[in-house]
Amino acid sequence: MIGRRALILALSATLAAAVAVVLATRTDASKSRPLSRISNPGREVALQRGELTRRLGVVNATLLALRGTRAYYLLDSAHGPCGATGAADQLGKLGSVDCPLGPFPTAERPLLDLSVYEATAHDAGDLSLYRAEGLTADGVAVVAFVRADGSVALRLPVNRNVYSATAVPTGPIAAVIALDKGGKQLWRSGLTRGG
Amino acid sequence: MLVVMTRLALLTLALTCTTVIVALTRPAAAAAGWCWPNCSSYGMLGPYTSTYNGCWYSSGEVCSGWSYWSLNGLAKTCYPGCDAWGQTGGEVLYGFENSQRIRGKITIHPGSWYIHPSDVGMGGYLRAQVKHWSGSASQVNVAAAG
Repeated sequence: MIGRRALILALSATLAAAVAVVLATRTDASKSRPLSRISNPGREVALQRGELTRRLGVVNATLLALRGTRAYYLLDSAHGPCGATGAADQLGKLGSVDCPLGPFPTAERPLLDLSVYEATAHDAGDLSLYRAEGLTADGVAVVAFVRADGSVALRLPVNRNVYSATAVPTGPIAAVIALDKGGKQLWRSGLTRGG
Repeated sequence: MLVVMTRLALLTLALTCTTVIVALTRPAAAAAGWCWPNCSSYGMLGPYTSTYNGCWYSSGEVCSGWSYWSLNGLAKTCYPGCDAWGQTGGEVLYGFENSQRIRGKITIHPGSWYIHPSDVGMGGYLRAQVKHWSGSASQVNVAAAG
């Protein structure tokens, strides 16, 4: 009889613990969900086959947006989720592909900056923008490119998980910052050369 | 007997998955072109690394010879470690260069990265490159195809 009560007690405790874990996890997940989700369903596209698609092992390609002369893709590949860009007039032909190790997006990595940077001096440690573009999680509203002194060089709104600009300011960029709709900083990547 | 067979099946599955993961994370050899440090292993790219062949930057950069490159690929690992945000300690610039400029994309994350010259507004006779930009040295494999 005592054994049966102990068993019921143990089972109840286990059940309560399991419910607590599920609730705790759900609470955390709902808090971070806008940063770990891309709601833009896009549309499935067929990729032009080549060296790049062969290396990637693309399972599925989604066109997220066409902005001006640029196309933005989300790929499901053998490397995991990848962000990709290409020319809008060559749909399905990938120009560059970024496949970070692990999931994307996440609260720790809500932005995949696909921007192109350049330097025209051999000795200077500065990079300037050639083109600004990238993919973000739902929770990112604005992407800002800032100077070393903290001033904002370029501020781009995120529209359907994509930010994009081909007209960019000259001069060095020190960091990329992701902001939510309230202006709170969610993520920052530094570009300042340290050696 | 059934338990033993199930365990063997699970072991086989685990080994198969491990083999697939290892195969996928291995550097992919370029079809025809240039690799650094070679086409089957990783090297450490730090502030003083160089291929000593006249790259845009005299140190901290590895670059190919001049050619009509069509693709540059970078595999970057977590080694020696990634932080809680999944970032490595080293930031790299990867892309292409000519005699006027060096141009490419920046990453601090481990993963696989591919870039065509046309996507960075370049073409013709180029060098494929990867530059240590900031932070600690990065473990990378670079493979460019012509």
